[in-house]
Amino acid sequence: MTFRSKLFWIFTLALVVSVGLIAAGVTVVTRQAFEQMYSQHTDALVAQFQREFDQRKQAVARRVQVITQDEATVRMAINLVQPQSDVSSYVNVATGVAKSHQLDFLDYVGNDGSIISSAENPERFGYKIDWVTQPEDWASLGSFLMKIDTQSGPALGLMAVSTVRVGDKNLYIVGGERLGKNFLASLVLPVGMRALLYQNLNQNFQAIDLLDQNGPVVEGDRFAQFINHERQNPAPQIFKISSGPDLARTEEFHALPLLGRNRELLGVLLVGSSQREMIGIERRIRMLAESVVGIGLLLSLLLSWWGAARVTRPVRKLAVVAREVSQGNWNARVEERGGGEVVQLARAFNQMTQQLTEQREHLVQAERVAAWRELARRLAHELKNPLFPLQTTVENLQRAKSKSPEQFEETFRESTGILLAEIDNLEKIIGRFSDFAKMPQPELATVNLNEVVRGAVKLFEAQFSAVGRPPITPEFHLDEDLPPIQADAPLLHRALENLILNSMDAMPAGGVLMLRTTREKGEVHLEVSDTGLGLTPEECERLFTPYYTTKQHGTGLGLAVVQSVISDHGGRISVESEKGIGTSFHIYLPVKPAPRPVAPPPPETPEAVGAEKA
Amino acid sequence: MKRRLYLSLAAISLLFVVAIRARTARRPAYGGTLRVEIGATVNSLDPAVGAANPREAAAKAEIDGLIYEHRNPDGTFAGMSGSGPFRISAWDPGKSVTLAANDDYPGGRPFIDAIQIQMGRSAHDRLFDLEVNAADFAEIPAEQARQAAAGGVRVNASRPDRLLALVFLAGRPAAQDQRVRQALAESIDRSAIVDFILQKEGQPAGSLLPLWSNGTAYLFSTASDAVAAKALVSQIGGSPALVLGYDSGDSFEESVAERIAVDARAAGLMVTAQALPAGSSAGASGLPDARLVRLSMPSPQPQESLRSFLTALVPMAGLDTVQLPDAASADQIYAAERSVLDGYRVVPLVWYPQVFGFSTRVRDWRSPGPGQGLPFADIWLDGPSNASLEKESP
Repeated sequence: MTFRSKLFWIFTLALVVSVGLIAAGVTVVTRQAFEQMYSQHTDALVAQFQREFDQRKQAVARRVQVITQDEATVRMAINLVQPQSDVSSYVNVATGVAKSHQLDFLDYVGNDGSIISSAENPERFGYKIDWVTQPEDWASLGSFLMKIDTQSGPALGLMAVSTVRVGDKNLYIVGGERLGKNFLASLVLPVGMRALLYQNLNQNFQAIDLLDQNGPVVEGDRFAQFINHERQNPAPQIFKISSGPDLARTEEFHALPLLGRNRELLGVLLVGSSQREMIGIERRIRMLAESVVGIGLLLSLLLSWWGAARVTRPVRKLAVVAREVSQGNWNARVEERGGGEVVQLARAFNQMTQQLTEQREHLVQAERVAAWRELARRLAHELKNPLFPLQTTVENLQRAKSKSPEQFEETFRESTGILLAEIDNLEKIIGRFSDFAKMPQPELATVNLNEVVRGAVKLFEAQFSAVGRPPITPEFHLDEDLPPIQADAPLLHRALENLILNSMDAMPAGGVLMLRTTREKGEVHLEVSDTGLGLTPEECERLFTPYYTTKQHGTGLGLAVVQSVISDHGGRISVESEKGIGTSFHIYLPVKPAPRPVAPPPPETPEAVGAEKA
Repeated sequence: MKRRLYLSLAAISLLFVVAIRARTARRPAYGGTLRVEIGATVNSLDPAVGAANPREAAAKAEIDGLIYEHRNPDGTFAGMSGSGPFRISAWDPGKSVTLAANDDYPGGRPFIDAIQIQMGRSAHDRLFDLEVNAADFAEIPAEQARQAAAGGVRVNASRPDRLLALVFLAGRPAAQDQRVRQALAESIDRSAIVDFILQKEGQPAGSLLPLWSNGTAYLFSTASDAVAAKALVSQIGGSPALVLGYDSGDSFEESVAERIAVDARAAGLMVTAQALPAGSSAGASGLPDARLVRLSMPSPQPQESLRSFLTALVPMAGLDTVQLPDAASADQIYAAERSVLDGYRVVPLVWYPQVFGFSTRVRDWRSPGPGQGLPFADIWLDGPSNASLEKESP
């Protein structure tokens, strides 16, 4: 990733994160505000319910008290204590009185607890209500919640008991109001809120007992878990119910237990607040934030791109110049314009380039001198060997002239033969130097490296088992699935010949020449190993230096040629060796060499050779 | 002395005048229209057209009794004509019918000129109209007789000649176990039904025929035995459930059914009262396992009434046919009743009377016996509305 891209993404990320944090902050603050508002609404509704509940209790107690104080009731109580009283004549009283006093439940109960008249259960006359006759201060108790059995099943009632006492006998008036959907309908609810009432009338949770102001709640089974929890632990609790994956359909409920006279759980009031409005506003805020982020992102993309381009322009120029320098243009310079660290950087780069140029020139000079010296030494060494026999032969001829003509003739014939041989040797020496100087560029074609290896080894089969020489055994470990490579087969062949010759020279006592090809990632690997004398680490370091040799008669060009060929193919070569164990050359060649920059013409001078080596 | 004589003569004269006036007041007077209200609606007086429900059939029979022989010699319907004490003068099907006195009636012209019958009047409306003197005659539900009397209505009740019974319908699996039927029968508090629902206008029934009819009713128990009922339920195990049907338009039956359900629940039986379509025939068996049935004695003769009852009850309850001789003795009638009731498939509940309410101007009413029609031909109307008629009468 470029510096410009990095800058661009940093700018963008910073902007996006900033906007995102702001949006998230606003959302959180809004949510907290809404939650607080809903909490206040819920508290207000619960308080309203409590007030309404208390008012209803007082109203029920008052109405029952009014019935008790009614003249007809007192007269009834008086009649009932008469010996010949006819209870049956009052059997239908409760229905009319309950209606006129707007009570859902009303029972006239005799002194022994027998029902004289019942509005909700007209047919239960004569049956007893035992709990009424139990000692209790009904007047101070006021109203209380109670489970009432009616013709249509159990119901929840807000009941009150009052007594008319005549003599030592009581007439109990048990009246009450049904706590159900009508009561819920009387509650004034803010928008988005609703009140539910669970009537705990059965042993297990029944969805039909969960009411709203219209009757049984749709999908009331969803509340089973929470109602059951409330049934086990009657205490205020808060829970959330979702009717789908959409968060807007989530409701938060405050559960308020409704207890009876004996602290038994008879009902649960559920005050629910819909999260729809809050979620809606949250979504609008989020949508707005996303829009801002989107626009911000677009702007930040443009601004970051422009800013990054502006900031990185000097750096990019510096990179271009550095690349030019790396490609050999030592005269390239960075324009020193503007101010700040970038100009300092450009100035430092130019100074560094200047210094590098100067040092390089010094180095080239030194290398050139060293190369010439090495060449001179090598030439001197190479030429001195044939010159010494030449000189000796000429001196022998001069000395032979003073001898007899027969001896001279013989000496002359021998000497001229020697002279010709040595001159031929000189020509070969010169030819080898000339060949190294004229190393051609590879002409790439599809090549099977295994075939090249087999062909090169085949040339030396006769020498491996030559008479009078300890045998050398070639071993092939060639990967037959080796992919073909783009290479110059003759050049590779020549390099392999040099390596094999080198190995043969390293194994004067015979041994094993192992050739292995393997496939690497995008490359092929050729290993040429011998079990020869091995090399020291110092020798290994200088092994590929031209004209360096560890052999008495070597020119020091063989491995230099190998390195040159491998390098021209875009490959690399390394050596591993251990003294007395053997040496391994590792050649790595790309399957498809990368295009090489157009190289300058091959150097004709030792200085050029040194540059190539460098 | 003279003074005493004058006073004595004045007193004698006054007594004479009062006696004369009283004699004149009790003398039947002709004229007037009797305003009658009934609960049923009669849509056709043609005997060939069946009644939609038993109430319509009964009302149709009553009207038919007033205008009887209004058929042609071949038995076909003769329309408005008739040979009974009254003839139809106006007919609005399902709403009202007006009957005019038949001057040619062989038994003598009725005292009243006409009977105006309003149909489809509820019990509440009938009672109200009687109280405010907007009607002269109406049948009152027995359970409202006490309320009607308290409201100032003249009330007359027949002998208890009607029976309300609980019948376990044939083929209902829930009632196959006799212990279930017996438990329900034992749990029912008949006295409470009579005292509270019927407001004492009836008698607990343990037999099909009332005591005044055959004289053997006391041999059948009417007492409830909740302990025995609970014992039977515990023998059965579980909590047997029964559905008890009643006529949805009948508040009396509804009250009785609900009370039976309460009594049954107290004994451990789960009985649910269920309203059946109004006026459905007694034999119609829908979902309920049992239903309440009202039966009217067609005759004062016990064997005739029992035969009539058996005709209705035996197929409904799936009982074996009970043979009853034409001239059955009291023992044979008792044995027939016992054979029907022993299996608890038929459970008599209460006998109750026909109760009639009158306005103050209706005179000489005699309560009809079982099977007898309403004696409108024998009554006469008192009051201002008849003054002009009396003047014109010879």
